Parts: sequence; structure tokens; C-alpha cells
Amino acid sequence: MNSNIWLLTFADAISIATTLILASLGAILTERSGVINLGVEGMLLMGAVTGFVVADSSGNLWLALLVSVLVGVVLSAVHAALTIGLRANQIVSGLAMVIFGTGLSQFIGKPVEGLPRPVIIRPLNFGALSDIPILGPVVFGHDLFTYLTWLLAAGLSFYLHRTRPGLLLRATGDAPATVDAQGGSVARIRWMHVIAGGALMSFAGAWYMFARAAAWSQAATTNGIGWIALALVVFASWRPLRAIGGAVLFGFTLQVPFTLQAEQISILPPTIVAMFPYLVTLAVLVALSTPRARRLLGAPKLLGQPFVRDER
Amino acid sequence: MIVFGRRVRMEQRLTTPSSLLVVVPVLSVLFALVVGGVFLALTGHPPIGTYLDLLDNGYTSFYGITDTLGLATPLVCTGLSAAFAFRMNLYSIGQEGQMYLGMIGGTWAGIVLADALPTAIAVPVVLCCGALSGAAWVALPALLRARLGTSEIVSTLLLNYVALNLVNYFIFGSTGFFRDPTTSFPQGRTVSENARLSPLSFFTDKVTNTYPTFVIAVVLAVSLFWLMKVSNYGYETTVYADSPNTARYAGMNSTWLQSSVLLISGALAGVGGAMYVVGPAGKVDPGLLQIGLGYAGIVVAALARYNFVAVILAAVLFAGLRTGGNALQASSDPVPIAIAVVLQGAVLLFALGGELFRRNKVTIVRVKQAVA
Repeated sequence: MNSNIWLLTFADAISIATTLILASLGAILTERSGVINLGVEGMLLMGAVTGFVVADSSGNLWLALLVSVLVGVVLSAVHAALTIGLRANQIVSGLAMVIFGTGLSQFIGKPVEGLPRPVIIRPLNFGALSDIPILGPVVFGHDLFTYLTWLLAAGLSFYLHRTRPGLLLRATGDAPATVDAQGGSVARIRWMHVIAGGALMSFAGAWYMFARAAAWSQAATTNGIGWIALALVVFASWRPLRAIGGAVLFGFTLQVPFTLQAEQISILPPTIVAMFPYLVTLAVLVALSTPRARRLLGAPKLLGQPFVRDER
Repeated sequence: MIVFGRRVRMEQRLTTPSSLLVVVPVLSVLFALVVGGVFLALTGHPPIGTYLDLLDNGYTSFYGITDTLGLATPLVCTGLSAAFAFRMNLYSIGQEGQMYLGMIGGTWAGIVLADALPTAIAVPVVLCCGALSGAAWVALPALLRARLGTSEIVSTLLLNYVALNLVNYFIFGSTGFFRDPTTSFPQGRTVSENARLSPLSFFTDKVTNTYPTFVIAVVLAVSLFWLMKVSNYGYETTVYADSPNTARYAGMNSTWLQSSVLLISGALAGVGGAMYVVGPAGKVDPGLLQIGLGYAGIVVAALARYNFVAVILAAVLFAGLRTGGNALQASSDPVPIAIAVVLQGAVLLFALGGELFRRNKVTIVRVKQAVA
């Protein structure tokens, strides 16, 4: 076994983390406003399949990305309408989005099932920089969107903690009644962030499709990444920058089974190794639930509760 | 909220008019059919013709309805499982994994214990082992919830993927206990004949896909409905669901209530998996992994508004969409089976929206002058 393969696995983990970061940033924005959207998996799938279909017929990557972002906007608007406008149960509505998104993506994706990707997002070319040992593949081996995603995480962190709208957003998740009394519109803030979050989730799916997946293969395309992204939100304690570290860790556990298989290391059967990402996620969740960790977390206090002025 | 000079006013209803209990679900299904119809039309399938086919193949023909009842059998169980947990505001979405474990546990009992037992005892033993395995699979999330307050949503969900890989491991990844030793083809070892039931024939000489387990599932649903109405336990869970604080002041043990509800919910999903063993499968069958009956159970429960008897109707409705969808996929003008899943999701979304109108009286009033 050479050490180089583990380095490449790590580089791969950073790459695959892009989807996880984007999706969990979307979920963080959503949940900070006090709305929980469990539909991440459905959003990812819809973003991936609509991007694929548009790229397949137009050959244009940018158009494909734009369309999948719009699809994310529409789907999350449905969730917002149900949970904010109609005060439906957020958990059930999110699950309905997963089921609806999974079904619809399979329906739309049926004709293009198994076709190779029409366009591919390739790593940027840094010339000689990529040949630096260790740093080369880890830092300079990624595509444009991976770097933009890191910037976005930093930008959102600034937005949440250093700007007035960010303060209002956090207040909406923690004490909507206060925001309301102060003259802010809880509904408008929630609508905006649920939709922005949905756009990010859907974009995460489209990126995954064009940068990582080999072909559109129904629900197996995302394979539960959306759920891992939701766990990642807890891991990141609803802070954008912390999502990066967690995403790389989860990305690594997602990548290890492939590396073991490629290296023909068979300590454990592949079906057992395939359980690891989920078990690691579960272990992290448990560690974060201890009373000590809980105090440091800072989950939005009124997450999941609809705001109704007269029933306050 | 003021839109175009008109204000939407909502007043909470104290009692729901009984007409709405029927109108809201029916309208949800109709609206969902319209949404599905749009997608069908966009992809070049005639919506009305497709729906008539769906109706025939899923509900009205003899083989259609018997296939549907067969498929509805485990779905009633996962629906009961979800309804049992959700009505207590415990959002366990682990029905899928618990059902797989029920299949594994039931098969174990069917292979090891059933040979020495007559069918009348072997079948209940298999079902009980399935229930125990399902409950065991939710024990960890229940414990974490009780001890550390870990959200059961994500923990139960993650275990679904572990359970899925466990089934794959038993059948594809190893040549152990659950694998059929007589062939190199990866398939499960069949349980004892004593642990199998033969399908119902409905007074014809045809072989159907409905098993007596459907009757067991219906009895389970009705007795659960009744038990939760009359028992002390049912009363305590209802109080806790409405107001955890009231329950605590009244001296009810909230940890015990939450954990026991999760365990029973797991057992119900596990029974569904075991019914698959007693009925059509007779072994650990990876085919069950393809259908997503666990997730569908959540939709069924939500559509039935966590009413155990209504779960039966919702499960039959959903199973019919699935069997009808299967037939469409195999027809000369194949419509992807996914249309059935689209319809399921859409029904749930509309039913959720309809809840508002059931709970509130919604009126639109013209705003004369905005008063600060």
C-alpha cells in the first residue's frame, strides 16, 4: 500500500465535500430562519437531473446550472408556501419534498438513464502548481466551483455574524416574536432564506452531477448525501465556516470504500465498509448531543415552529 | 398579510365540520392527479387514458386489486409505525430499516424455530421475531433520545442505510446463514414450509398475491385504534402529544413514554418485514429494498392524519398507485413507474396544505383602511 493513494483520497474528499458544503450551507440558511427543510435529498436529485437533461439537449453547462437553481427555487417555494403560508408540519412537508423529488427526478431522468454526462466540470489548470507534492492535488486540484464554495462559506459567515440582515435572520430563528414586534416581517425573512437555501441545495446536486457522478442513475446518484448534509448542519453547529471541516471529514468516509476497493484491500466486505459514512455520522451526532457539547452548539431556538402572531 | 387590499383572516376552528374530513383528502388526491397529469402530458402520455389504465390495473380488475392488497400488507404496518410515532411528535423515519430487520429476524425464526412447530404457532413466532428485531433496530435511537436528547430524525434515518447494507451483506457480500447454500446464485435461504401461508383465493381457483397477513394487518390496525382509545397508556400518550408540560405535571414519565412509543413503532415496522417473509418472499429478499415501503409508510400515515384505521385506506390507495404504475411500465406505451411516486408525493403535499383549511376557518376580507 502506498501513502500516495491516501493523499489522493484526501484530495478527493475535499472535492466531494463541495456538494456537502453547498447543501449544508443551504440548510444552515434555511434553519437559521427557524424553518427546517428535510427535503435536501429530493432537492439534490432534482437539481442533478434537471441539470443533466438541460445540458443533454443544449450542451451548455451554464444554462444547465441556471435551470437547476431555478428548480431549487420552485421546490423550496412550495415548502415555504406549505410551512410558512399554510403552517403545515415542517418535518412532514420536508419528507414529502424528498418523496416528490425522488419520484419526479426518476420520471424526468428515465429517458437519459445511463447516458454519459454531456458536459463535465473539470479541475482548473494551475500549471506547475499542481505538481507540487502534497499541496498540488490537495489545494490546486479542484474546479472553479469548489473554490467559489469556500468563498461562499466565508461570505455567509460574514453575512450571518457581521451584518444587519444576518442579525435579523438569526433573530428570526431564535425569537421571531421580537423581530415581529420590532417591525420586521418574519414571513418575508423566512421565505427569502428558505428559497435561497433551496437554490443552494439544488445547485449542489447539479455540481455533483457534472463534477463527480459518472452518469444519471436514478436515486443512486446521490445515495443519501442529502441526509448526511443535514447531519453536517448539526456538526457545524449552524455556522457556515465549520461546515467546511465537517464536510471534508464526511467526504473522507464517503471516499474510503472506493479507495479500499481500488487498492484491493479486503479487510472487510465492501457492503460493510459502505455502512461507515452513516455510522461515522451517527457517532458524531451522538458526541454532539452530550450536554456539554449541546451548550456550545447554539441551534436556532425556535427551529421547526411556525410563527403565528396572535398565538404567540 | 395584505394582498391587493384584501386580508386573509384565519380563525381556529374548535370543531371540524365532518364534511371537510372527506372533502380535503378527496381534493388532495384530485389536485395530485392534475399535477401528475401535467407531467404526463409534457412527456407525451395521454393523462386520462393513463389514469384509466392505472385505475384498472391498480384497483378495479381482479388481479389488480389482489396485487394491491398484497402490496398494501407491509405498507399498513409501516404506516401504523409512522402514525404511532408521529402522533407523539416523535419523527422516526427509520421504518425502512426496521422493516428490513423485521425481514431478517423473521427469516431467522422461520429457518431455526419453525421446523419443529405447527403453522398455527410458527407464523406468530416469525411475526413476533420480526417485531422484536424491528424494535431492536430502533432501540439505539430511542436510548439516545432518552439519555442525550439526540434528534431521532437523523439517527433513525442513518440506520436505514446501515440496514440496507446489512441485507446486501447477507445476500451478496457473504455466504453465511441467510444465503441459500444450494446454489451459487446470490439469493436467500428459504424458511421452513411451516412458517409460510398460502395466498388467499377469494373463492376462485385463481392464485393471487394477497396473503392472509393482510387480514392480520387490518386486525392489528383496528385493535391498535381501539387499544389507544381505551387504555391508560393511550390516554397518557395523547396527553403527552398535546402538551408535554401537562403530562409532566400530572406525573407521567416522559422518558418512558417517548422510548416505549419509539420501540412499539419499530416493532410495527418490523412486523411488516416479517409479513413479507410469511407471505410472498419466504426468505431475506433484496427485492424488498427496491420498493421503499418504509418511506411510503410515512406518507400513508400523514395522509391518514395518524388515524390507525384510516391508515388501511391510505395504504390501499398508495399500493394501488404502485401496482397500477407497474402495469403501466410494462405496457406497450411504457410510462415510468416513477409517476406513481410523483403522485404519492403530490398527494401528501396537497393534503398538508389542506390541513390549514381543516383546522382554520379561512375568510378573505377587504381592508378598508390600514389601522396601525
